[in-house]
Amino acid sequence: MAEMVTILIDGKPIEVEKGTLVIEAARRIGVMIPHFCYHPKLKPDANCRMCLVEVEKMPKLQTSCSTVVAEGMVVRTNTPVVDEAHKSVLEFILANHPLDCPICDQGGRCDLQDFSHRYTPTGSQFTDTKRVYEKGFFSPLIEKEMNRCVSCLRCVRYCDEIMDVKALANAARSTMTEIVHFAGHPLDCEFCGGCVQICPVGAITSRLSMYEFRPWMMKRADTTCGYCGDGCSLILETRGEKVIEVMSSHGNGRNNGDLCAKGFFGYQYVNHEDRLTTPLVRQADGNLHPVTWDEVLPVLAERLTQIKLAHGADAIGGLISARCTNEDLYLFQKFMRLAIGSNHLDSTARYGHVNAARALRRVQGTNRWTVSYEDIVQADALLLIGTQVTAANPIVGLKVKEAVKKHGATLLTLETLVPSIETTSNITNLSALHVAVPPGRHAAAVRGLVKAAFDENLVDAALSSRAGDYVSRIRAAATALPYPEGLDEAALRAVAKAFAGARRGVILIGQDLLQAPGGHESAVNLLDFLLLLGKLTQPGWGLAPLTEENNEQGAVEMGATAEYLPGPADVGDAAARTQIAGAWKDQPPASQGMHLLEMLDAARAGTLKAMLIVGENPVRSLPLSAKAASALEKLDLLVVQELFLTETAKLADVVLPACSYAEKTGTFTNSEGFVQKVRPGLEPVGDSRPDWEILSSLSVMMGYPLEYGDAKEILKEIRAVIPGYRVLGAKPEPAQVAAKSVEQYLTRGFAEDLPARYSAGAAPKANSHRWALAVGQTLFHSGAMSTKAQGLLELQHEGKLIMNPADAQRLGIADGDRVRLTSTSGEATVPVTMLGRIPEGTLFFPESFREALAGLPSMTPDPVTGVPYCKQLRVSVDKVGTGGASSGPPPARIAGGK
Amino acid sequence: MATHELLLLKNMSQPGYSGSLADYERAGGYQALKKVLGKIPPGDITEMVKKSGLRGRGGAGFPTGVKWSFIPKDHPGPRYLICNADESEPGTFKDRQLMERDPHQMIEGMIIAAYAIGVRTSYIYIRGEFVLGARVLERALAEAYQAGYLGKDILGTGFALDLYVHRGAGAYICGEETALLESLEGKRGLPRIKPPFPATHGLFQKPTVVNNVETLANVPHIVNRGAEWFASIGNPPKSSGTRVFCMSGHVKRPGNYEVPMGVTFREIIYDIAGGMRGDKPLKAFIPGGASAAFLMPEHLDVKLDFESVAQAGSMLGSGGITVMEEGTCMVWAAENLLHFFNHESCGKCTPCREGSSWLLQILRRIDHGKGKMEDLATLTRLCGNIAGRTVCAFGDAEIAPITSTLQYFRDEYEAHIREQRCPFRSQPAPELISVGR
Ligand SMILES: Cc1cc2nc3c(=O)[nH]c(=O)nc-3n(C[C@H](O)[C@H](O)[C@H](O)COP(=O)(O)O)c2cc1C
Ligand code: SF4
Ligand code: SF4
Ligand code: SF4
Ligand code: FES
Repeated sequence: MAEMVTILIDGKPIEVEKGTLVIEAARRIGVMIPHFCYHPKLKPDANCRMCLVEVEKMPKLQTSCSTVVAEGMVVRTNTPVVDEAHKSVLEFILANHPLDCPICDQGGRCDLQDFSHRYTPTGSQFTDTKRVYEKGFFSPLIEKEMNRCVSCLRCVRYCDEIMDVKALANAARSTMTEIVHFAGHPLDCEFCGGCVQICPVGAITSRLSMYEFRPWMMKRADTTCGYCGDGCSLILETRGEKVIEVMSSHGNGRNNGDLCAKGFFGYQYVNHEDRLTTPLVRQADGNLHPVTWDEVLPVLAERLTQIKLAHGADAIGGLISARCTNEDLYLFQKFMRLAIGSNHLDSTARYGHVNAARALRRVQGTNRWTVSYEDIVQADALLLIGTQVTAANPIVGLKVKEAVKKHGATLLTLETLVPSIETTSNITNLSALHVAVPPGRHAAAVRGLVKAAFDENLVDAALSSRAGDYVSRIRAAATALPYPEGLDEAALRAVAKAFAGARRGVILIGQDLLQAPGGHESAVNLLDFLLLLGKLTQPGWGLAPLTEENNEQGAVEMGATAEYLPGPADVGDAAARTQIAGAWKDQPPASQGMHLLEMLDAARAGTLKAMLIVGENPVRSLPLSAKAASALEKLDLLVVQELFLTETAKLADVVLPACSYAEKTGTFTNSEGFVQKVRPGLEPVGDSRPDWEILSSLSVMMGYPLEYGDAKEILKEIRAVIPGYRVLGAKPEPAQVAAKSVEQYLTRGFAEDLPARYSAGAAPKANSHRWALAVGQTLFHSGAMSTKAQGLLELQHEGKLIMNPADAQRLGIADGDRVRLTSTSGEATVPVTMLGRIPEGTLFFPESFREALAGLPSMTPDPVTGVPYCKQLRVSVDKVGTGGASSGPPPARIAGGK
Repeated sequence: MATHELLLLKNMSQPGYSGSLADYERAGGYQALKKVLGKIPPGDITEMVKKSGLRGRGGAGFPTGVKWSFIPKDHPGPRYLICNADESEPGTFKDRQLMERDPHQMIEGMIIAAYAIGVRTSYIYIRGEFVLGARVLERALAEAYQAGYLGKDILGTGFALDLYVHRGAGAYICGEETALLESLEGKRGLPRIKPPFPATHGLFQKPTVVNNVETLANVPHIVNRGAEWFASIGNPPKSSGTRVFCMSGHVKRPGNYEVPMGVTFREIIYDIAGGMRGDKPLKAFIPGGASAAFLMPEHLDVKLDFESVAQAGSMLGSGGITVMEEGTCMVWAAENLLHFFNHESCGKCTPCREGSSWLLQILRRIDHGKGKMEDLATLTRLCGNIAGRTVCAFGDAEIAPITSTLQYFRDEYEAHIREQRCPFRSQPAPELISVGR
């Protein structure tokens, strides 16, 4: 228990924890001391002097935002002296303020307005000249109006303390003090929007919504972000049919009010003019034509039924995006399994997350994290492997930064990035120990870690006696391997040692590990690592895979993959099947379903006749060499539920307009297994419908009614069927490691693939293509949706190949030049830019613009999990042209769906 | 007046004294260090300085030995000693001379101080404009390293100290100790909120002592001749030792003069600095740098020590005495000072940031014949709203010229307003020039 202190505020006694600030103590008894510079997230700076209070026995007024309570302290917040002090600070601020409230977007939610109103100043004594700044702006997305600035430095402090970006500074002195970014070009930062949100006045605002609203005109919907698996709570502010802006609120949600560029500036795809608004059907002329739901649904149901009758249910397959709600995902698999009768179904969790989910289930009996974000913040060692955390999972990135910067955690990184000071934060700059791992080599690095556990004598003695066979066989397998070539052996051993020595440690793994050959084995090997250290079952310890899409965890748990029933439970598990059959009053098929790549093969072979694809675009997601398009073209029937006419939708016979998350009710399950509400901010755009509703109607027409009044009814069923959803608390409850499962793994389970897990793997193929190219997430884009968001396109509107400046210099390449990349499967020409964080010899390309590379990657499916690996490749680089077109401004309007 | 012994300016007043190590050693330099290292326990040095009654010469006059004793004894990890050589207070120019002309005196003081508080890394934060001073110090440090007074194993005693010169980048506020620390850490020099104090959370959040150049230059003398001896100089017990006063303004012989504390303003202005230039009557004077309130001819017999000047309503501050003769426009003098303070307000806290320019605008208006009687009440009110409500002491400093001129020369303000012109000038006031932004 924390030590408590009793103080008296305005005559009221209150007991608070030692170390509490007076301003917070006051807030707890409902006394709101006016303040500008104070923010609970930031270290006190006490610069605005607005929060002055009287403290008995202190001669001067004290700033309540920086004064810590002390036993017996007597504070007065409402004496004439205090009142007068508050008024005087307002008077000083208002002296130079332009009083342009009528045209300020902050008007109506501005602290300066509110406090001025509270202290009702009547006219100012200030009759001299106001200071006026020249009109300035930060970037096409962020407006600054320094005349309104109260110099509280919250923006500067946020950008430094929370973001670790340090893009803003206060420059000049006295009344000319001004918030600036590095000069000479527009603001170049992470565009988290934090400065916009934390500014107490209208000095920093979003240009995306400028002059579009008065706060009281907007409707607000508390919902969950649809981009990544971090699961941020956000507020959609809408007016009529349009999302005007996105906000978050301090202290709220897993993100505690922080957001990233995608969350804050990436909402406009919802209102993109290319959204599908009516069903489309391919007609005799070979083109897609608009029809009504009433026209399309019966015909479609009929077609599906016909195919099922003619070729059997196994001739029909389904694929769904893990960006859909749990309700969509659940109903999708139920529809496939019961209404159609097929186990051939998959979701985009197949692109990597299943590798982790399978490993976790196998060893610890649960696919879920055994830790939460709080455990990340409280850990004293964090090990990041292939996460690119700031780009792919920015809010988890903030938790890592908080652990390191605020609590002094030791950060250990096995990442492709290397430390370098740039305009955006770089998590490896905070590393205590960093091992630079080239693309595709993370699996080898993980094997090196396990070897190091033995070489450094870190193995738990209790485990050795309890599971001697396991330990000695892993030892034999892991230590037989040499340390991976090209990786820093000493550093790798030091990482293992530092991690083993921690009080609480969390391993975070991401796409660079999970979406590369050996992804599944690596996840199991890391669980070996935790077991060997004796930590897997310790509280606060765990392996935490991060998910790229917002609901990959949900997709697995809803059973929206071939191998899993809701739970997830194995399709092959008869008992699980019987159980679900009890709830469904019908038997799901027992056959082993096909995963995505197998379905494409079957389509190509002519055994799969129809596919229902919900919200996913495999033609784009998979490389050309996967030949997804030609496979889908061979189907007798392709149905696509979508927001946009994607490459895949263009091949469809029937295209059904679906609602975006901004129009949906339901739930998402984030990376850490926390189930959160999705609430609509908008009415469905056009005639679009929620995915579950489309499937439900179809089932009715097919004579197998899966009828639900609303999404909530589906959730009710989910909660009855899936144990992890029974209790939906306000806070995540980390899962427990199942002792039985660990026991089973330690005695037998580990052995089944031991040689495969500890073999050197296919060494990087020696060929003439010497560059290692990685395709991955960037800060500003995720998937294809983000490329329809105007705000994000302003930040990044094309894919540029990123290389190390030293490499570029060697090749005589300047920013904006174009290079030809050649791989064994093809070639592509792309513009280049430079970043010091990309190590020499390595190249990076943003995944959201992968069509530019379409011909380049080859694809290797994982032999066990069917995950298609196509994100790391080897290429040659030749310069083909200089500068020009590519580096110009983004096109004024973005053509969608093409 | 009685002649007195020079301490700090002694060496440099010898003809031909160059400030080189050889000269300094010849004059008895580094004997104190030899007396101390390995022979006197560090804690005893601190005690000795406490007993000597030495108080800080940077402005606030905090007892130096007491400051040293605040450094936690058993703190693991580094701790720092910083010499504050940012001297930017208008009318103050003693540190500059002490550094340029006798650098080793201060360096020896720093080494002893570092020894006393267990410091192994120390910095001299020198005002950016002091190019010569920085060069002289660099040269002196090189000599000291060469001679084994600095480095890994000083004088074979195992005590190690590294000393660095760090040049400031041109801001008055960086003389304020916490802003100095920020600047030294490579950040924008803005004062920190206190607590925590530098003694526990200083440079890089480590225990730190910040001392003025002159303060440190006294240390070898105390060691050489004993705490009792030092405590007998000046006006003990509260104001022992000498001070180097910087005489400027309308006196015949402006310059630095070292005198024991306790001499009167009359002595220093009329005897030591040669009296009023042109023999005009004295109108007013600033006793301790621009941050100190004006004093009047009636204060001429006030003693130059911490207590007496404080009692007279001002402060001994940095030791900069600026003298003004009859005929000087006090509104213009206040405006001139405010011009400086407005230019140098770091902009961190509201009352000082917004107040300084508001005050300046009013003063300028009054001086330019556009004042209103209500302005006087506004000036008073604004000063009251700044006093004691800012992050650092700058706020109190910037209002001192206004409150004191309003106290003593209210009639002059009123005359400006009544006549809508400056009664002292036939020409418009010259524009005050700012260097940089
Ligand atoms: C606005 C401001 C400016 C200051 N400038 C200086 C300076 O230039 N030199 C200095 O030694 N102290 C200056 N000080 C005082 C320092 O903060 C600090 O008290 C002093 O360096 C401590 O040294 P001492 O104890 O040896 O006097 C200034 C204080 C303030 C508030
Ligand atoms: S939007 Fe940019 S400048 Fe603003 S806080 Fe975020 S990273 Fe910093
Ligand atoms: S821009 Fe806003 S947040 Fe930043 S200092 Fe000014 S008022 Fe504060
Ligand atoms: S009082 Fe003036 S100089 Fe001191 S912190 Fe405030 S603004 Fe800066
Ligand atoms: S809120 Fe306390 S000083 Fe700004």
